[in-house]
Amino acid sequence: MTPGLGHKLKEALLAIVGPEGFSEALIDMVSYSGDASEHSHRPQAAVWPRNAQEVAAILSLANQERLPVVPRGAGTGLAGAVVPVRGGLVMDLARMNRIREISLADRLVVVEPGVVFAQLQTALAPSGFSFPPDPASGKVATLGGNVATNAGGLQGAKYGVTRDYVLGLEVALADGSLMRTGSRCMKSVSGYDLTGLMVGSEGTLGVVTEITLKVVPKPPLSATASASFGDLRQAGDAIRQIMSSRFTPSVLEILDAECIKVLNRHAGQSLPEAAAMVLAEADGYTEQETDLQIRQITQAFAENDAQNIALAQSPEEAQQFWAARKAIGGTLFSLNNTMLAEDVTVPLSKVTDMLVGIGETARRNGVLIATLGHLGDGNLHPNLIIDGRDPDQLARAHRAAAELFALAVELGGTLTGEHGIGLAKASFMPLEHDETAMRMMRQIKRTFDPHDILNPGKMGL
Amino acid sequence: MQLSSEFRENFEEQILQCSQCGFCQAVCPLFAVSLRPAFNARGKMMVLKEALRGKLALDEQVLDSIFQCTACANCSHHCPSGVDVPGIVKAARREMSRTGSCHPAFTGLSQVLAQHGNIYAEEDPPEFQRLLNQPAEYVYFAGCVGNYREEEASETVLDLLDRLELNYSLIDEVCCGGVLEDMGLQAVAALAQANLERILATGARTVITGCPYCARTFLERPEYQPLRDQGIQVLVLSQLLAQLELPVTTDQRVTYHDPCDLGRHCGIYREPRQVIAKIAPDFVELAHNRDQALCCGAGGGMRGAYPKNSLAVARRRLEEVEQSGAEVLLTDCNSCVHNLRNAKLRKQKIQIYTLAEYIGRLLEGAS
Repeated sequence: MTPGLGHKLKEALLAIVGPEGFSEALIDMVSYSGDASEHSHRPQAAVWPRNAQEVAAILSLANQERLPVVPRGAGTGLAGAVVPVRGGLVMDLARMNRIREISLADRLVVVEPGVVFAQLQTALAPSGFSFPPDPASGKVATLGGNVATNAGGLQGAKYGVTRDYVLGLEVALADGSLMRTGSRCMKSVSGYDLTGLMVGSEGTLGVVTEITLKVVPKPPLSATASASFGDLRQAGDAIRQIMSSRFTPSVLEILDAECIKVLNRHAGQSLPEAAAMVLAEADGYTEQETDLQIRQITQAFAENDAQNIALAQSPEEAQQFWAARKAIGGTLFSLNNTMLAEDVTVPLSKVTDMLVGIGETARRNGVLIATLGHLGDGNLHPNLIIDGRDPDQLARAHRAAAELFALAVELGGTLTGEHGIGLAKASFMPLEHDETAMRMMRQIKRTFDPHDILNPGKMGL
Repeated sequence: MQLSSEFRENFEEQILQCSQCGFCQAVCPLFAVSLRPAFNARGKMMVLKEALRGKLALDEQVLDSIFQCTACANCSHHCPSGVDVPGIVKAARREMSRTGSCHPAFTGLSQVLAQHGNIYAEEDPPEFQRLLNQPAEYVYFAGCVGNYREEEASETVLDLLDRLELNYSLIDEVCCGGVLEDMGLQAVAALAQANLERILATGARTVITGCPYCARTFLERPEYQPLRDQGIQVLVLSQLLAQLELPVTTDQRVTYHDPCDLGRHCGIYREPRQVIAKIAPDFVELAHNRDQALCCGAGGGMRGAYPKNSLAVARRRLEEVEQSGAEVLLTDCNSCVHNLRNAKLRKQKIQIYTLAEYIGRLLEGAS
């Protein structure tokens, strides 16, 4: 049981946010104790600030009182980044949810951190513009959370990740001051890139209170193709050929043999059983443009012995192709009560090695691992599916995950392509980052947050 | 408080199945109006997981989470892990009621129903001046809202049934009793028994209900098994009207609200639209329709226990109606109509009716 805050501290917080903006209720403490990971710890209280001034005032108070503060968006993260492991305050930014400005002339939007990703896409849709990095949780996830975790999505290869779109930020710092970073310009080399430092920092350096995002026109047309491969190495060779060509697919996804089996058995699909199924999409402004690209892709499939190569003849048929990909997340979740959703990422040329290694790891540890992935950016999602109540299965899954991290790093890859470090991978940080880099990260953390109140216990710092 | 073995046996697996992805937050009407994750399905499942692990007791402290739910089923409909949230919430309420932690708005409900036969503790049943407890092909079952809160609407519906020359009888009805189980309370056997006897005595082969919730109760609950055994059909009004010629049309622009009990819970989307197609050529769909429909906020005991948030949910639905440009909002549930009418702001000029009431009014105007 986590003790509540002292009377004085509670009164001081109430003076900032008012009774509507503060809670110690058990149901709130429980709902703020976790995210989509297996980690859990209750906070002592929750606050719902409405503006940057309230955020700053809360941080200033927390800093004086050495009270941990964990900023939170929608809590859809998979790495435990918003779990308040040391108690303290959860700062839910959901009420700061206004889109302040859409300026197509400047090709940017200014939003508050609680704006939901899908809310921005809906607002942009009539103009034909979009903010491309689309996490699977986009209907729920907030832009503040996307910035804090540098969220990715399906279109990373062609359109990049959140970091590539953040032009500037307003950030509340641990001492209660507000800082503006970046600019409204497409280019700026003025000073250190504090914006870039904040993106992906998981709330350990400050609390983002306003975001200026670049938006880009969304090509209206797309073409979709799919193929299956009898051997992972053939799939890997096809991917290598595609990525070495002059074209970048807007989406390039893989489902491994386990995913295919699961979809056929549990989701009513009738996909050809194979080592892998690959789905590709090419977008553009004219049919000629999409056609040219998708034919390069299907040619690469054919030259690498793919089977069942199919080109969608209509948007409806394309939807059918994507149905398998869309169904996989939910189907995997429904297989058992616990899924460790990992996201190791490797250089494009090492994707096959990683996929083969994942299969070996699964067999070695006796754990079901179903892997999907964004091939265009080397980001793979091995999902370890177990009964979390069985300590033996849990231990084997964690061992398998650790082996996957080691393999990814050995292949020149990274622990996480988009889910973040949080708690889940905190202890693995030194595996990827050398001592000097770890020391510099810790010094940066201390510079911004000398009393370690901002999301403490995360990122192995 | 100890959780019952029945609860563990039937619901532990289901609750643990929640992966806490939070996707339900996108569709939870309570989250939309409160932005408080504790009210969302994931928040409820997290509370129940802690209860299963013995880390908290299901007592007054968790009332506002477990009892604050419209049972709209939009969460379970979108749940990647296939968690039956309304079923779990109902069971959790049963656990709480069993140990004396029922929501105070419902603690006396079983007694009220046993004594008065309706959820509002009203003494005098409405006098509709129609055949009562007589042999007929159909029984019309208005339900508590139709009898005691939307009587005028019910009168118009009965006029319509008269015009359509339907051979029906009313019965001395009492509450169908469905609400008790939703609140986690013991079913009152006498209620179902009384309705059953009176329906069967008419010899009717079909029961028409004014509320889809009553229809669900007749179709699903074990107490009403004799209806099913005797092959008696249970229909909501739009299912009946879809089969009939309707001698009236309108130029008004109309839209349709899918009641959760009829739509997501029963999968009935086509018939109401067939009825509308016969009478109103100028029909527009709401942005969220069919299985994606937004809730009216009335269900699951919300209107009684949390009126403020219940109305806030209804206002959100009405905003969407305004955006549609419709003059008339039609639905097929007295309870939805009641809550949406209560939530309507004076400046909102939308007219809100059940399909049957609207058609009845059109016919009255035409004659």
